[in-house]
Amino acid sequence: MTEDYENTEEHKSTWTPILLAAGIAIVLIGVVIFWPIAVAGGIMVVAALFKLFKDGAEEKFAQAKESLEEKFPLESLNKEKLGIWIFLMSEILIFGSLIIAYVYVRLSSSSWPVATQTHNVILGMTNTIILLTSSLAMVFALHSIRAGNTRGLRIGLFSTFALGATFLIIKLGIEWPQYYRNGFTINSGLPGSTYFVLTGLHALHVGAGLVAVGYLIFRSYNGGFTSTKHSSVENISLYWHFVDIVWMFLFPLFYLI
Amino acid sequence: MPGMKMYVGIWFGLVVATVAEVVTRSLPGALSLLALIILLISSGKAITIALYYQNLRYEDKSLAILPIAALIGVIILVVAAGMSM
Repeated sequence: MTEDYENTEEHKSTWTPILLAAGIAIVLIGVVIFWPIAVAGGIMVVAALFKLFKDGAEEKFAQAKESLEEKFPLESLNKEKLGIWIFLMSEILIFGSLIIAYVYVRLSSSSWPVATQTHNVILGMTNTIILLTSSLAMVFALHSIRAGNTRGLRIGLFSTFALGATFLIIKLGIEWPQYYRNGFTINSGLPGSTYFVLTGLHALHVGAGLVAVGYLIFRSYNGGFTSTKHSSVENISLYWHFVDIVWMFLFPLFYLI
Repeated sequence: MPGMKMYVGIWFGLVVATVAEVVTRSLPGALSLLALIILLISSGKAITIALYYQNLRYEDKSLAILPIAALIGVIILVVAAGMSM
């Protein structure tokens, strides 16, 4: 079976994932040791992402048919979708561990500031509704392209991008500066560090999602998607909804309880 | 695949649930009880998004292996952290 596969399919390989992983590692090392190293790592990450997007746009690694043993035990999923689910699994591990660690710290602390007094509930609720609406816009984009409606796809993607950007502007441009002015910073003990680390990590994921949605918008103007060829839209929408799900827990934990 | 009308209905339900969380917090009563109610609403919202927006309801049931494996992984990490304290 493997021999058949090797004989019938053109062998394709890429160094992009290695460059991307090395770039991220160098950024993290640079942040701790010496910032110019982090900049060099950042350049590597950008170069790798550019190559990744270019390969994606050219569908360099797209396969028309996958053999059964490649898909077992999830026969109904293609490799791309299985890949995104495995990626989301790793994200569940990251956020799940951090959220449970926060709950543990919170429960074992004798005193903790009242959430509704330290955090702006109205801004938090507004951001929750914005993120929920961005998820609906993403659903609209996917629904449209499944029906072959490219204009609907673009409207959905632009709306998702605008709403995601608004979420970040409220969070990083209004809310965080307000907390800093009130003396609630990352150095304000465990309440401050847990809040800024978890919501900061989430904001980083929203930012990554915006880059991905930007890529979809770019591809939508280059005839990249049709009613039968839109797996990137489907996969990135799974990621976007996941980011939404994480916020559904962060909002009550930090703003209400 | 359900139509857009249903997705808009789900979005409306999620927004109402978000407002309900905020209203619940302002109700009189023990914080632990209010927290439990709020977290139940949040979990319901998260499950709804996963089932309908991520289309898990219409996917192969075997896909549940992955999130369940991740949750087991989280439990292992928590237990390991607890044991090291």
